[in-house]
Amino acid sequence: MNVKKKFKGLSDKAVGWLFIGPTVLLLLAINIYPLVYAIKMSFTNFYANKIGREPQFVGLKNYIKVLNKEAIWEKMQVTASFMFWTLLLQAIIGLGLALLLNRKFKGNELLTTLIVLPMMLSPAVVGVFWTYLYNPQVGLFNYVVNFFYDLGSFDMIGSSTLAPWAIVIVDTWMWTPFTMLICLAGLRSVPNYLYEAAEVDRASKWQQFIYITLPSVLPFLLLALLFRGIENFKMFDMVVELTSGGPGSATELASINLKREAFEKWKTGYSSAFAVILFVTIFGFGNVYVKVMNKIKER
Amino acid sequence: MKKIMILLFVSLFSFSVNSNAKSITLGWAAWDPANALQELTKEFTAETGIEVNFEFVPWPNFADRMLNELNNKGKTFDLLIGDSQWIGAGAVYGHYVKLNDFFDKEGISMSDFSPATVYAYSTWPKGSKNYYALPAMGDALAWAYRKDWFDRPELKSEFKKKHGYDLGVPANWNQLYDMCTFFQGREIDGQKRYGAAINTERGSEGITMGVTAAMYAWGMEYENPNKPYDMEGYFNSPQAVEAVEFYRKLYEDCAPPGHSDAYMVANLDAYKSGQVAFQMNWYAFWPGVSKEDSGGRVSGFFANPKQNVAAATLGGQGISVVKYSDKQDLALEYIKWFARPDVQQKWWDLGGYSCHNDVLNSPSFPTSTVYAQGFLDSMGIVKDFWQEPTFVELMLPMQEAIHDYVVNGKGTAKEALDKIIEEWVEVFEADGKL
Repeated sequence: MNVKKKFKGLSDKAVGWLFIGPTVLLLLAINIYPLVYAIKMSFTNFYANKIGREPQFVGLKNYIKVLNKEAIWEKMQVTASFMFWTLLLQAIIGLGLALLLNRKFKGNELLTTLIVLPMMLSPAVVGVFWTYLYNPQVGLFNYVVNFFYDLGSFDMIGSSTLAPWAIVIVDTWMWTPFTMLICLAGLRSVPNYLYEAAEVDRASKWQQFIYITLPSVLPFLLLALLFRGIENFKMFDMVVELTSGGPGSATELASINLKREAFEKWKTGYSSAFAVILFVTIFGFGNVYVKVMNKIKER
Repeated sequence: MKKIMILLFVSLFSFSVNSNAKSITLGWAAWDPANALQELTKEFTAETGIEVNFEFVPWPNFADRMLNELNNKGKTFDLLIGDSQWIGAGAVYGHYVKLNDFFDKEGISMSDFSPATVYAYSTWPKGSKNYYALPAMGDALAWAYRKDWFDRPELKSEFKKKHGYDLGVPANWNQLYDMCTFFQGREIDGQKRYGAAINTERGSEGITMGVTAAMYAWGMEYENPNKPYDMEGYFNSPQAVEAVEFYRKLYEDCAPPGHSDAYMVANLDAYKSGQVAFQMNWYAFWPGVSKEDSGGRVSGFFANPKQNVAAATLGGQGISVVKYSDKQDLALEYIKWFARPDVQQKWWDLGGYSCHNDVLNSPSFPTSTVYAQGFLDSMGIVKDFWQEPTFVELMLPMQEAIHDYVVNGKGTAKEALDKIIEEWVEVFEADGKL
């Protein structure tokens, strides 16, 4: 009643603005302003640690430098490969687990809880304890692999061939439950009568999966992959703890390189340009992906 | 409820009383010497009534944490024991208080401290009479070895038969390699052992500190002595290339499995768990290693072996007053106290590495601990990484390129060094030095 009195005289639009105003202000302060500031900085030779040195306008020099730097393309390649394999594995295993847990069996709930545990851990903690699991002398991972197939001593995080797989495995272990949960939500929304109708039409289990389950769950799976894709594009903490981007630069993702350029070398102007390029890339890909996803949903 | 309120009031009141007391905050890395300093500082508080709060940051985050604090003109620290390489940035960007007037006023003479430490920890520009720190903790990269294994007659005779000289403290890096390979994969007391735990860490400065121990011994110079910042033919000289190749050989043939991202703590762990015959590490850790010798383990220590020249990688730090502190007077009082010869002697006794001549030149010093002579030897031959204000920008490409070559096996040593020079030129150009 009081609220009603208070807002008496204000138009609906004004009340609307009153509600969203704080959020908009907050967004402007912590998202939009830094973004605009970073774009401005990207056209200068600013170094945040060089006190008293005024930034000078350098035009597109930083962008040209980033795009022409071979090392940057190597990091982008590492990032693309990391994203491809993690998303592929998380999609397949996540969907598989969701199909399994969608069935009713004893201990289903307990199993679901156990499976989602990894994604509740801090990525930094996960990175640290997997360094022990990967230890060639005492690590459980190497022991298990050797139990099934004798490979002898191998160093997952010290070898440039194995290290990229080491981070893919850990990310998949940690985040497959997320994909699984989203897919499970999708599976549970499929009405039973569709399967009953398919049974009447004598559709095989495989046909039911292809023509009913998969189309129903696909929008959910794509949504999960969108979230994971965005997260993995900016993956930082887990990989830093696990490999520090090494050996050499074998697992140095774009985000790790960006942090080193911005907050260790303090090349603020240059790293702002790099950040803008990364932002445009993920924004562009994200938009295309959402459009494709919407088309699939409409079908 | 009433009792709770009283308790809250009392604790709030006591907090406000405490915060009104004279106190300063000192920042350093979290390691053994920091604990010794904390112990030593109790005497300062007893004498002056000034409380000293400590903030010790783990080594992997030490530089990030402290340099961010300085760049942001933070007031968290009144005193900072910062790495030797930070002195350039501390002076040029005005993070540290220049101490010349204070030293003159208080009669603190830099000639009372070991010249190598004054040069490395206090001066900017290098070798000038501008002092921005008091040498606080002398340090250099050195080696510890399993003396108990080396003393075993069967191993001694087998080694002599194989290599034609005695198993003992290696006279050069070739001998070090022979000894490391001798222990690599060998079973001793029913356990498989390995050669050496060496620095291979990628994230901060580990592998650079390790590989430069070899490069300095091979005679590498960073730049043309007659033309500053001219690095071509110096930093990538044939000797430097040979040293980097040697370091990779040492890693491949002598390191324990999985030692691909290891620095101080990992080397200590590998040594203490009995995996390796040698460990590369800082003198700062030797008091702890020596004290913890048990279960038959007897540790020996020696300075970095020479190859073409005698040289060692410099560690250690000076203590500086932070420009942004509101309690500079109290911080200076601490430095005045710390510079006293009697305090310096106690500092060494507690496990800190004093740089004061009265301590180092004392006749009893070389025999005061098993590593004291090595420390004296090392401090006469130390060399440091660039101490330029841009040292982090210089460190990162070296970390990447050397790790890529030594651990990852990518490319050649010459390519790695050329790549580093290329990046360094860019840094110096941006800094207006080239």
